[in-house]
Amino acid sequence: MAELLAGLGTSHVPSIAAALDKGLRDSDEWKPFFDGYIPAQDWVRAHKPDIAVVIFNDHGNSFFLDRIPTLALGVAEEYQPADEGWGPRAVPNFIGASDFAWHLADQMVAGHFDPMICRELDVDHGLQVPMELVFGRPAAWPVKIVPILVNTIQYPIPTPQRMWELGQLLRRAIASYPTDEKIIVLGTGGLSHQLQGARAGYINPDADRAWIAKIGADPARYRAMSREDYIAEFGSEGAELIMWLVMRGCMDDSVRTLHQHYFAPASMTGAGMVLLENMG
Amino acid sequence: MTITDRIPDTPLLDRARSNAGYALNKMAMGLSTPAGRAAFLADEDSYLDRFALSPAQRAAVKARDWAEMVRLGGNLFYILKISAVDPTPIRAIGAAQAGLSLEDFLDQRLGKVTNG
Repeated sequence: MAELLAGLGTSHVPSIAAALDKGLRDSDEWKPFFDGYIPAQDWVRAHKPDIAVVIFNDHGNSFFLDRIPTLALGVAEEYQPADEGWGPRAVPNFIGASDFAWHLADQMVAGHFDPMICRELDVDHGLQVPMELVFGRPAAWPVKIVPILVNTIQYPIPTPQRMWELGQLLRRAIASYPTDEKIIVLGTGGLSHQLQGARAGYINPDADRAWIAKIGADPARYRAMSREDYIAEFGSEGAELIMWLVMRGCMDDSVRTLHQHYFAPASMTGAGMVLLENMG
Repeated sequence: MTITDRIPDTPLLDRARSNAGYALNKMAMGLSTPAGRAAFLADEDSYLDRFALSPAQRAAVKARDWAEMVRLGGNLFYILKISAVDPTPIRAIGAAQAGLSLEDFLDQRLGKVTNG
């Protein structure tokens, strides 16, 4: 059976991609942010996952408001980087783990989650940035991917509780997949930020640090919070953090926090990561 | 149009705002292709004519009035594509919505933080 190797939560701020593209990786502003990912990158490289399941939101790049899937699942053989207004970024195409994706589609629908199934899909910075933060800038990505897209832009967005339950389903799908592949689950978005309205620029580093410290060891509060709670505490776009709950929900009750990192502000966002392993 | 937000100064893209801003956001979405960007840059008025913008929305776009675009239903993830054609840093867009100078915005909203 397939194995859940680890869960990783990370920001997916587009300015991270811009910093890499502009050669600012080692600038005074950005070096502390990127360096904080090195221990997790080393761990992942040493443990050689085969598949990355990436939970993220499209940011008005692949889906317009004419049709917004609350949940979408990619089953494609290959995904290209989206044109977000500046032309597609020069990152390698992503190879899809379409066999596992179709297995997950079966499991989701049987388990009463009904995603839009995507055979052709460009992927934006919500997927690109986490992949770059975990795997660097290789000539070819060392893992195949399964994208799970969650609507966090147009309301109603799904509830945090639903995200946790999706994680529980993902856990069962991994456990019932009859290969010996190793899977890493990337829950992405956040941390605190707000781009819209007079409260733009809101960040909450104290809440972010608490999240980083507790999402592994003591996630009960975050699992119970409402959508409004997320927006109030983490900002309107900080509510993306609900997607980390898919990652956390697919893991054991008891997990080990292997690495963690926090940095603020990355552009207008509290940014960081955790790497979690089941206690086993 | 009156929209009451449950969390102050936090305009969520709910039914009312999505309806109000649909044409504005659709116009911005058109800038996600090279052809759309070229058309906007070649003749902005003609490009805007393709979409059913209200006069106020059109004026806000022409003025690059980010706060007004959001007030009229624009969502940052779409209208940001205007900033790809007519370069404007995201922090400047944030400052404009907050009603602060860029310097005050960086200091008051993003400054009192620590790294580590």
